[in-house]
Amino acid sequence: MNTALIVGVVASSILSATSLLYATLGELVGERAGIVNLGLEGILLIGAATGFAVSALTGDPYIGLIAAAVAGAAVNLIFAYLVVERRANQLAAGLCLMFFGLGLSALIGRPFIGALIGGLPRLPLPGLAANGAGARLLSYDILVYLATPTAGLIWWLLFRTRWGLVLRAVGENPASAYAAGYRPASLQYQALALAGFMGGIAGAHISIALTRTWAEGMTGGRGFIAIALVIFARWNPLLAIAGALLFGGAEALQLQLQAAGADVSPFLMNMVPYLLTLLVLVVWGWNRQSVAPAALGRTFFGVE
Amino acid sequence: MPRSAALCLESALGAALRFALIALIAFGAFAALLMAAGMDPLKAYLDTILYVFGNGYGFSELLVRMIPLLLTAVAAALPSRMGLINVGGEGQLYMGAWLATAGALALSDQPAFILLPVLTVLGFVGGGLWALIAGVLRALRLVNETISTLLLNYIAPMIVSFFIFGPWRDPQSSSYPQSPAFADAARLPNFLHTRINAGLIYGLVCLVLYWLLMTRTRWGLEMRAIGGNPEAARQLGQPVFRYILVVMFAAGGVAGLAGMVEVSAVQGRLVSELSPGYGFVGFLVAWLAGTSASGIVLMAFLFAFISSVGDILQITQGLPFAVINVLMAAILFIVLGRRPAGSLAR
Amino acid sequence: MKRLMALLTACAALAGLFAIGQARADDKPLTVGAIYVGSVNDYGYNRAMKDGLEEMKKNLPGLKLIEAENVPETAESERIMEGMIQQGAKLIFATSFGHQQFAFNLAKTHPDVVFEHAGGWMQAANFGNFFGATQSAWYPMGVAAGKMTKSNTLGFVVGVPIGYAIGNINAFEMGARSVNPSAVTRVVVTGGWSDKAKEAVAANALIDQGADVVTMHVDSPATIIQIAESRGVYSIGFQSTEARTLAPKGWLTGLGFTWGQFMTATAKSVIAGSFKPAMVRLGLGQGMMAVAPFGPAVPDDVRALVTASADKIGAGFNPFTGPITDNNGVVRIKEGESWGGDKMGNFDWYVEGVVGKAK
Repeated sequence: MNTALIVGVVASSILSATSLLYATLGELVGERAGIVNLGLEGILLIGAATGFAVSALTGDPYIGLIAAAVAGAAVNLIFAYLVVERRANQLAAGLCLMFFGLGLSALIGRPFIGALIGGLPRLPLPGLAANGAGARLLSYDILVYLATPTAGLIWWLLFRTRWGLVLRAVGENPASAYAAGYRPASLQYQALALAGFMGGIAGAHISIALTRTWAEGMTGGRGFIAIALVIFARWNPLLAIAGALLFGGAEALQLQLQAAGADVSPFLMNMVPYLLTLLVLVVWGWNRQSVAPAALGRTFFGVE
Repeated sequence: MPRSAALCLESALGAALRFALIALIAFGAFAALLMAAGMDPLKAYLDTILYVFGNGYGFSELLVRMIPLLLTAVAAALPSRMGLINVGGEGQLYMGAWLATAGALALSDQPAFILLPVLTVLGFVGGGLWALIAGVLRALRLVNETISTLLLNYIAPMIVSFFIFGPWRDPQSSSYPQSPAFADAARLPNFLHTRINAGLIYGLVCLVLYWLLMTRTRWGLEMRAIGGNPEAARQLGQPVFRYILVVMFAAGGVAGLAGMVEVSAVQGRLVSELSPGYGFVGFLVAWLAGTSASGIVLMAFLFAFISSVGDILQITQGLPFAVINVLMAAILFIVLGRRPAGSLAR
Repeated sequence: MKRLMALLTACAALAGLFAIGQARADDKPLTVGAIYVGSVNDYGYNRAMKDGLEEMKKNLPGLKLIEAENVPETAESERIMEGMIQQGAKLIFATSFGHQQFAFNLAKTHPDVVFEHAGGWMQAANFGNFFGATQSAWYPMGVAAGKMTKSNTLGFVVGVPIGYAIGNINAFEMGARSVNPSAVTRVVVTGGWSDKAKEAVAANALIDQGADVVTMHVDSPATIIQIAESRGVYSIGFQSTEARTLAPKGWLTGLGFTWGQFMTATAKSVIAGSFKPAMVRLGLGQGMMAVAPFGPAVPDDVRALVTASADKIGAGFNPFTGPITDNNGVVRIKEGESWGGDKMGNFDWYVEGVVGKAK
């Protein structure tokens, strides 16, 4: 076990976990409002393509990042229209979103394949030497630094503000919330806009920070992982950090192990994150206590 | 013709016409998008229609594309009658292919009349067992089957990759990851001189069996009753636990057959990339069809056609094939948006 | 009655379409079809193929080229190629290994169309195979790396550990050792030819482990080279020499495929009706592979060494001449033996000095 390996694993895990965390947080907010979005993968892809395209066009990755977040929010609002306004089956609407994202991102990204962008710059923490373990471990792009604070912010929003309280009420029992004078539909729209915003950021991190490139379908199923991670985190933003790190870590670990010369089969190692997630879900399920928002996945038929 | 069959035909035609209108709108919206992107969608549509209908080979290609969709659609439709959501068609397909390959490699010197039925059974069992994992987890109320089947979708191709890189690596072409080629006796035959393979029979048989099951058996009617409310059914004393297991196994098995068809008829060996999303598109087909058997045939036909459009767009206009996902999404969007709690049939 | 009329009208329409479909004739000058497994803007494998095809098109004015990118190595490729044939293609380049079986299937049903496949071995009267002899070409790359490294650790990212790729790594390490006996090559397998997220992690991991020269065998070198450049280490490219624009400071050299000559010759033979199938494997100095221009960091004496080494390979030197021991101490190629081009797919072991698992 050499230090280079440990440092490498930690650094790579943090990098891999960042986009997962944003995606998970976004989905979590939506689910707390009672909406499950199976098409999160589509949002991520649109975020990745838009972020990359706008970065290449303007030469500024931060503008690309904002564009990606806005695009994600806009597209998720289309999804919101279907499930809130038209009361569509959430599963089918989610798939609709997934397909849409797959196709639209391919269309957006295509003219920019091969473009070179500077990507989100690494910002070393002030006061650290430029080489050595310190620099490697502690110089990331801004999204990484903001990830944990964002989780904290979402936690605060959900559990310490009135808005969050009402949102959670809508997710538990929209009929009661409606009876109490709130408008579930409006809240669900807001939640989904926020979810789309975060999903766009998550996708953008992969294309303009991690790989600095665009390829069709490059998010590799992270959207679905995020959905599982929401359950893993028991709908709690702070636990989502642990989940994202765990999964990101498992992903990074096997490649780092290879570089260090360990005798691992890449294919078996690739399975570990998914098996781990499944295992955790089983253990959580064993716990019997359902902590999911009670009205999750059901459409609300208000008084017409 | 007998009255019930005439009624069936009539309602099927009605549904088809209704749907044709939706498809037309979706194709129109898609064309608008393409024109905005600077392409010529009408030429693409025309090219596709000419290719697919003006050409015996083109039409046979359409049928070839339909085969896996018929199977994965049934794999999604069957559990949905019970209120179960099986989005694991991909993974079940891979595991069916995997187990069938095990059989093909182990029994490579057997004649076809032994080998093909064995491979068929193995394909079914492979996919069925894989789906059963999710079924057990759901029946025990541990994990929702939507999530578990999704996760299992990712694990299955990795298992396949592990085997074709390791124990099942083809010694003849160790330069490339694939299993050894199947013996001729292990290959499902094609029809005439087209690429339509016997998998079409599998697809049609499964469809017919599904239809019979749903409309002609007590079990089918019981499942419809459960589909609305598993809890009520449980309280009524129906063996829901057992039903979940059986249904998931059967559904996974049908998807597993699609995998077996891929390796036996199409590829002739186990390779790492078996499915371009048949599982998901099959789910979409089943959902749009309102899980009716005739609807599945129609939808599978439509999506096979869309797939052809994608090819033409790619070849003649340089658009990425993935763009047709937008078209599929448009169709789904219109259906979902039509009326509150929008779904096609019933 | 109304329904019957509708049915009859539909039948008539179909019959009409059928007639139009049959009447579509194609009598143009040669139409060539090409399928790529990825995007041609990848600074890598597909770019090299595209460059070759463009050269062919320039050399033969009037030739029509239809292309499809991102064609997966599944039955889908067969459909795309079939579509191209329907559009009149008489020569098809299937540019990725996994397209082989499907191109071969079509060769059987379309005896009037010629197929050229990159990287395989199948042959038929209208089916030929071509590729660069990459393995020995990696030897001079190793020389460059061995000379320029200060940490004596070299990093190699490989997509899929097939025999040919392992051979590339072996030649690379042997070339490095020939000028630097302490050079070690660490290998990371990503599991796919084009998984950019994993390539990024892999490149970082190798650099974390001390590699100061990074190279790769994946479809597109772009991600890895960019990571290397951002972390201030050297990089060596593969597949296309264009990749050097990605690393203005750290680029040492690279290998690129130069397909244009071969493709032009093939197209000419098809036009003349004189096509003969063959398994073409040409290396450095024989027209299919080239050493990329050197980067600014490479001093003149190293350049001379690398060029001399490349010339030696071009003249026929085979680095896979015994005795060669693998990284577990077992002698794999005996004294006096040597492994020729036909054995390049058989590697399932790494040479001494490589840190990694070959199977």
